[in-house]
Amino acid sequence: MEEEEAPDVICELENVQGLVDALTAVRWKRQQDAVLELSEHGIVLIVEESGCLQAKVYLKRELFIRYDYNARGGRPRFGVSLGHFVDCLNAFSVPAGQSISSLVQIQYPGPDMQLLLKSVDSLDASICAEIRTRIPDTIAWDYNFEPAGANPLTFTVKSAALKEAIEDLEWPGSSIKITLEPDPPSVSLRAEGHGDLQIDFMYYVNSELLVAFQCDHQASFKYKYKFLRATTSNMPSSVIKENRGSKLSIGRGGMLKVQHLVSIAKPSVSHPYADSVGYQQPSRIAHIEFFVKPEESED
Amino acid sequence: MEISLSDNALKTFARCITCLARIGNELAIQVYSSQLLFHTINSSRSAYQCIALKPGFFDAYNVSGNSVQCSVLLKAVCAVLRTPITNIDHLTVRLPDPDASKLQWILDCYNGMRKTYWITCNVEPDIQHLSLDRQKFPSNFVVSPRDLSRLLANFQSSLQEITIIATEPSSLPLDASNEIGGKAVELRSYMDPTKDNDTLLHTQLWIDPKEEFLQYVHTGDPIDVTFSVKELKAFLSFCEGCEVDLHLHFEKAGDRPILMAPKFGLEDGSHSNFDATLVLATMLISQLHEGAASEPLAGATRTHPHTEERNASYMQQENCRANVSSELPSDHTRIWSDLSVSAFKSISPLEERRAQGETILNDDRQREMQRISTMQISGLTSVPGNNPIDSNVPTEKDHGQEPQDAMQDNGQAISQHHRSNWVDAEEDDEDEQDEDDQYIQPTPPYYEEH
Repeated sequence: MEEEEAPDVICELENVQGLVDALTAVRWKRQQDAVLELSEHGIVLIVEESGCLQAKVYLKRELFIRYDYNARGGRPRFGVSLGHFVDCLNAFSVPAGQSISSLVQIQYPGPDMQLLLKSVDSLDASICAEIRTRIPDTIAWDYNFEPAGANPLTFTVKSAALKEAIEDLEWPGSSIKITLEPDPPSVSLRAEGHGDLQIDFMYYVNSELLVAFQCDHQASFKYKYKFLRATTSNMPSSVIKENRGSKLSIGRGGMLKVQHLVSIAKPSVSHPYADSVGYQQPSRIAHIEFFVKPEESED
Repeated sequence: MEISLSDNALKTFARCITCLARIGNELAIQVYSSQLLFHTINSSRSAYQCIALKPGFFDAYNVSGNSVQCSVLLKAVCAVLRTPITNIDHLTVRLPDPDASKLQWILDCYNGMRKTYWITCNVEPDIQHLSLDRQKFPSNFVVSPRDLSRLLANFQSSLQEITIIATEPSSLPLDASNEIGGKAVELRSYMDPTKDNDTLLHTQLWIDPKEEFLQYVHTGDPIDVTFSVKELKAFLSFCEGCEVDLHLHFEKAGDRPILMAPKFGLEDGSHSNFDATLVLATMLISQLHEGAASEPLAGATRTHPHTEERNASYMQQENCRANVSSELPSDHTRIWSDLSVSAFKSISPLEERRAQGETILNDDRQREMQRISTMQISGLTSVPGNNPIDSNVPTEKDHGQEPQDAMQDNGQAISQHHRSNWVDAEEDDEDEQDEDDQYIQPTPPYYEEH
């Protein structure tokens, strides 16, 4: 009898809601195809639109209670519907208020190359889900974010403020121009349409708003509103509540990188990896990155 | 021109904008050295609101030259105030020069963000002016917004027009007033005769102004006014938010509008740094007069006993409902049933006339035209000509004579009936006995007809 091959990845996660929040952050429309890439370091989920917007969710192996990687050769890549994936994960969520922990096992591939989800520590019943996968289309181009120059152009702003600003900028109904000024240190977001709106983040006005700012020369680029909105529209409420900052960087050619951090572990849950009560290690954080291509300049 | 405001003034300012946006689409702004005026009028020109803000209302108030005026879309201003008021440190509105094409609205937020809106403005707006001296309205009442909201909650939320009927409270003898309760005011849902009202809830509410109103002034014959509910509720919310009472001035049905204003604590209101007025057009046809006007037609088309039967059945039903639900004394019920009978009469002749086909269609069109024409506020400058109405002037004049004649008859009838019932107790007892005998017999035929 031939011995069964071990799956490429078997991992177990304790807090499903955190994973759902992280994946929801990159869900900007109902039907979205995603690519999952597995490696010894963890899982990366990639979504893309129109060759102008790409988002990545980095799930390090430290987020999982168990992470067994057995793939040989190249890193496994497969396509999956993001909506289906999130909806299935929601089925494993524990209702709020319950103290029972829900341990979910994720396995790839299944007998028919599907993605398998299963609750494994339930005493009474077990939930299983199979998600059909597909061979991913070759990504036409990869987003290689390169610094704009010798010095980085970057700023960190409160996520809630960034979300509010982008929502307000819907009113003019046009593209958004982001301008970084070194003197005085400030960031401006401006849109001109049937009305004009400019939102300024002043570095010296409130140090809690613009947390960090690096800029040695003026930089200004335009981005389509719908792509910028995608970077914040489905930000989990936990990010707002935790008052986290989002980091924005402008790279070569105006490529914009927006980075959010989403907590995966429950703060109150005691975990062997935590050094002390209440402290949350960086390894319990999911990293989310958006890459937005600038609009072609008409000048 | 540059003005700025913060804190409580900013909250009041936001309420002003919210109320104005529920009335019209365009905001006309006039800035003088003595005050700033906001105007708006709805698309059918049946509602006009003006808000005056004194320089003391603002943290900074700078006007270059004599005056500045322009207009902007209210939905754009609402976009500015989408930011929660609690997040705004202060708001600055700036027009760099009188010919500038955009009005600047600058929000400085507590979290350090600054939002600058440039709203396209029209520097040559067609500003409508409507000045009505509220002192010249013969009737008025003052009510707290919460009390009026509670009263309006009894009506269907989708109600579009409401009728207020006012009678003279001082005509009641002191003893009689105590017994009856002095319900001198009636609120009634308006039923548009040109529409299908089968699915609508018809509500009548009798009010004792001494209990429900803070102030009530009306003398003489009963009068009624019918106006839009939507704008009334908008102004009601505004007054409630500003924690002021609502003062409503009215005269009578016809070409006279009603006027609403906030009632500040002080009598003259001179210490307030803002004021507001809302003027609403009223329906041309009086609900009191229309009821009386249809009476001759009813008499001409039906046998006298039959009419009495229908009226008696309706009154019987009214009495039963009133006595069970509110335990009103029979004397009061009889008094207000007269108005109910008037309303009832106004419905049955219309139903009968519907069978006449072409005639009823013409009549419906005429009513609709009258309704549309009367929903424009009279006395408003720059009112455009209305050719369709002009072409019907002869017909309207002919039709107008009957209501005028009926008005006098109806007024006299109501006055006489009220006096006779309120003064002589013995006659009341006798009348009541007679009516009881009449009510019992015709009940079955009334229900069979339905």
